[in-house]
Order: sequence, then C-alpha cells, then structure tokens
Amino acid sequence: MFAIIFGMAVVTFVPRFLPMAFLTRWVIPERVKIGLGYIPTAILSAIVFPILFFNGGGKVVIQPHDLLSAISVFIFSWKVKRLWASVILGMLVYWGLGFIM
Amino acid sequence: MTNKGQFREGVKDALPIVLGYLPVGMAFGLLARNAGLTPSEVGLMSLLVYAGASQFLAIEMIYKGMTWLPIVLATFFINLRHFLMGSNLSLYFKNTPLRLLGFLSAQLTDESFAVAISNLPKVKNNPPYLFGLQITSHLAWVIGSIVGALFGPFIKISEYGLTFALPSLFICLLVFQLKSVRHFGIMVVAGVSSLFFKWAFQGNWYILLAALLAGGIGVVVEIINEKQNPRGGSQEAHG
Repeated sequence: MFAIIFGMAVVTFVPRFLPMAFLTRWVIPERVKIGLGYIPTAILSAIVFPILFFNGGGKVVIQPHDLLSAISVFIFSWKVKRLWASVILGMLVYWGLGFIM
Repeated sequence: MTNKGQFREGVKDALPIVLGYLPVGMAFGLLARNAGLTPSEVGLMSLLVYAGASQFLAIEMIYKGMTWLPIVLATFFINLRHFLMGSNLSLYFKNTPLRLLGFLSAQLTDESFAVAISNLPKVKNNPPYLFGLQITSHLAWVIGSIVGALFGPFIKISEYGLTFALPSLFICLLVFQLKSVRHFGIMVVAGVSSLFFKWAFQGNWYILLAALLAGGIGVVVEIINEKQNPRGGSQEAHG
C-alpha cells in the first residue's frame, strides 16, 4: 500500500512541478500543447464509456439504468457546472431509478 | 495588501472548492475503506497524492487486486494534464524562488487552477494568495476523505446510489472538458475505441490505448487544419 501511495505522490508531483520549474526557459511547441489539451477528454471518455456499456460478463450492452443516470448527470453538469452537485444528482437519479427499473 | 491579507483573500476564494471537496472527499474515503484501505492510509493518500480522479481510479484498481506499477502508471498519465496547467500558471510566477514554486505546484488541482485563472490579477506574482487558495482546498480534501473513511463502515455502499458516485464524478469532469466540437469528436473516438480495446485486450490498458489514439488523432486533425488555413486553425499562443 505504501509503495502505491508514495509512487502516486511522486508521479503526481512531477507533472505539476516540472513546467513551473522549467517553463521560464523552454518554449512548448503549439502542437504538443494541443495534443496534451485533448488528453483529459480522451482519458475521461475511456473511463466513462466502458463503465456504461460493459456488463459484468465482459459484453458490450445497453444498460438503461446506468445510461439514463449518466445522461441526467451529463445534462445537469453541462447546465450547472458544479462537480459536487452533479455527483449528488447522479446518485439520487440512480437510486430513484432503482425503485422503478 | 499585506501577505496576510492576500492569504486570507485566497482562503475566501477557496470556499466554493471546499463545498465541492468535502462531499467528494467523503465519498472517496468511504469507497477507499470499502476497497480495504485503513483511515490513516486514506488520509495519507489524500495528503500526499491529492488528485481526485487518480485516487478514485487507484482504489478501483486496488479493489481489483492490481499491483502498484499499473496504478502508478495510470496516475501518471491521468495527471499529465497538470503539466499544461502548470505551464500556464508558470507565466504568472516568473520571479518566484524555485523552492516556493515546488511547494505551490504540489497543491495544484483542476479546481484550484480554474479558480486561480479566473482571478488572474490576484494571482500574478502573488504566492500568498495562491497558497491560501490551495492549502484551504487541500485541507478540505484531506478532512473530507478521513471523515468518509471513519464513517464508511456504517453506510452500505450499495444504497443511496453510492455505486454511481464515481461514474457521476467522471461524467461531470468529462463535461467540464468539452469546450469545442473537436472535444466532442475526441470523446467519441476515445469512448468507442476504449470499448474495442477493453474487449480486445486483458487488463486496464484500454484507458491508455484509447487516450493515446484519440489524442494522436486530435493532433493530426489540428495539423491538417493548420496547413489549410494558417493562423485560423488554432488560437494564438498565450502570454
């Protein structure tokens, strides 16, 4: 467990610190900047889609319970832009749908 | 304004972040406890790692019994985005000593960055303000996760929609990233290809493979666009 925590501490510190330390001397090419700019979107999509479309048996399926909850969170966070409110709404919708689905 | 006054100003501006971090931190502590971490391990991780999405992903991977190497690698790639934020913030701290920068950058998060860049006049060459903003947010995260870890065993994880807390968090963070039509394209490419990679390969490599594929396609599209109409395709360099 401590290897995990300290390893994570090191690799989270490095990308936070390096640009702060060196960027006054380096100039980042625009294309590299653009590529890095897409990484968060790409990583988060690659986390979210499998959660929604993979069932326990490792098959790609439509899961209405998850999908409807996800769409609610998507629309709500698009309009309201609040992280914690979106998380709570997602939990409530998922919980509520549990009674009727 | 005095250093103390600027520090206070930062603390004040952190309050919306605190409202967000306390409940999400509690959800983290709760899920981490459920994955087998002790409350002190939860507190230590929140103190030293201090990265929401990575910590949630890490406990998911710990729960699945994965070892430290894939967890640390995934953390590294998820937090690469801070490289960009650090690059942007560094523009406003040209004269700050390196040791102080090391301290400030260790507490950089998406949320504190978002608040900081919307208050640029306060931030510029002003470490006490940024420190006040970040230390307050950091404390909220650590306290929230310890509280969640301590009271976790009294709450059934399958109730009140808690199983959907993580997916909601990631969906919301994803929505925050969707700033243009191109980001939507990236989402579709990464999302669909992640389904394929997960189906095709064992383990958790689908996240990295899909992200690299989609990021690569994004850069290629950008370059083609730039060649077709120079200067029109990408925004002018900042700073």
